[in-house]
Amino acid sequence: MDLGIMAKNIVDIIAKYWKVFLVEGVSNTLVLSFIAVFFGTVIGALFALGKMSPVKPLQWIITAVVEATRGTPMLLQLYLYVFLLPSMIPSLNDIKNADWICVAVALVLNSAAYTSEIIRSGIEAVDKGQTEASRSLGLGKVTTMTSIVLPQAIKNILPALGNEFITVVKETSLASTFFIGDLMTSYLKVKGINYLTMECLIITGAIYFILNFILSKILVVFERRMKARA
Amino acid sequence: MLSIKNIYKNFGDLKVLKGVSEEIEQGEVVAIIGPSGSGKSTMLRCMNLLETPTFGEVWMDGKLLTPIDPYLHEEVIKASNTFKKMVAGGMEEETAVKEIKEKDLLKEKFSAAEGKEYGALMKKLYKENYIDINFARRDMGMVFQQFNLFNNKTIKENIMLAPVKIGMQSRKQTGLTKQEIVAAAESKAMELLKRIGLESKADVYPSTLSGGQKQRIAIVRALAMNPKVMLFDEPTSALDPEMIGEVLDLMKELANDGMTMVVVTHEMGFAREVADRVLFMDDGMIVEQGSPAEVFDNPQSPRLKDFLSKVL
Ligand SMILES: Nc1ncnc2c1ncn2[C@@H]1O[C@H](COP(=O)(O)OP(=O)(O)OP(=O)(O)O)[C@@H](O)[C@H]1O
Ligand SMILES: [Mg+2]
Repeated sequence: MDLGIMAKNIVDIIAKYWKVFLVEGVSNTLVLSFIAVFFGTVIGALFALGKMSPVKPLQWIITAVVEATRGTPMLLQLYLYVFLLPSMIPSLNDIKNADWICVAVALVLNSAAYTSEIIRSGIEAVDKGQTEASRSLGLGKVTTMTSIVLPQAIKNILPALGNEFITVVKETSLASTFFIGDLMTSYLKVKGINYLTMECLIITGAIYFILNFILSKILVVFERRMKARA
Repeated sequence: MLSIKNIYKNFGDLKVLKGVSEEIEQGEVVAIIGPSGSGKSTMLRCMNLLETPTFGEVWMDGKLLTPIDPYLHEEVIKASNTFKKMVAGGMEEETAVKEIKEKDLLKEKFSAAEGKEYGALMKKLYKENYIDINFARRDMGMVFQQFNLFNNKTIKENIMLAPVKIGMQSRKQTGLTKQEIVAAAESKAMELLKRIGLESKADVYPSTLSGGQKQRIAIVRALAMNPKVMLFDEPTSALDPEMIGEVLDLMKELANDGMTMVVVTHEMGFAREVADRVLFMDDGMIVEQGSPAEVFDNPQSPRLKDFLSKVL
């Protein structure tokens, strides 16, 4: 392998296909990740509440869903939803972006399973004495949760959610199996044109790395701010 | 004013309280002493239902905080099918009641099995006497060993939180505006802080305070609700020795002001000096009780003598 040629190839590929990588790939990856973590957090919060509720059957169902999701590979879940959803909702077949939607649903539910555990353990990490003090003053369960427990739990939850975002950014690459336009799909497309596998892998890998490097730096700053305020 | 009736508390298979009954009178200061693990905290926490008693009833100011315990009401026992069958079988009424109580014969879990009359009476008694626990707790302040100040609130916010939230909940009845409620809570909070000499700490967070300061603030936080009774669970046990005095002094002041107090404590000096009555607990029961002079200078039971010989 001639490193000089390789470097030249890389520069050429970037010059020619940067739009495919950055505009299409990166934006799709970030949008998918954001959707996954945002809606995953909303659903995950509901899961966490359900799991802490006194309703036993609800606890069982949520535990089953969460454990099934955490105990099987992401790729399997992607296949499952891409196969399952259109057969359940026939009108999906008429939409051009059906696969994209199925992939997004799979990512959201996968993320929900993980964030529900993050949220639950974040809430449970708040000292029980805080709840007892609040209840002993005559405040109800809901007020205690919203005024005392959640504001303290957020400090445990947000940093872990940031890490979840970084994990999801990497996991979206699996979605390229369905060619839905994420960064890994960009790799497949460009490589399919020029057959320069190594060069394309290096470019794609570098973009993932830079993306996550920036994200984790943002996270560190964010965490430091939050600690300073506590 | 505050009474617990035949309270049992099990944690799984562990029987922690084995039938304790006690009546706390208005203005009384009651100290609870006893060895570690004897159930002192559990009994105190049953008084405001931070622990739910397994059996028995808790009453505050003539209002019921727990469900009805049928064994405590003879008329309920007499309404049960179990009782009716026993009497129909030729048993004396008194004997039947006694036997039902002793052998735990009521089918409580299937109150349908005890007949309509039984179920209706249970429901009626409950309806007539029950009070929502969140209402009842407003009259019962509690102070914890670990202070439990709200970490995410400033000192002033700690004190104001409950008065403001509860003031807002009862706005319909009082007709006050939000500003009026907050202003009243704030001036009350500042007055309480002034009383303990900590006005300067109003806007700091709890993490910056000493243990003694935290505990005194926890006490006035409870006072902000104008409770009728204060429950203390070893309020000085987590403190450095040099800070115990300031907390005990504040508690003495409260006692002198006529506050009704129940205090679980290892401070025998405090119990002797301040308490009107001392309860000695061991193994989930109140083994002995009396005035401080009786309990400390003339103990009767071997277990109390043994306990005192270790702590005095
Ligand atoms: N939530 C709980 N779950 C299980 N067991 C408990 C619980 N709370 C208390 N216990 C047990 O109940 C028993 C009595 O506890 P309690 O705290 O009432 O004792 P105590 O008299 O206050 O002791 P100490 O002086 O050490 O505070 C102990 O054996 C304790 O381990
Ligand atoms: Mg205790």
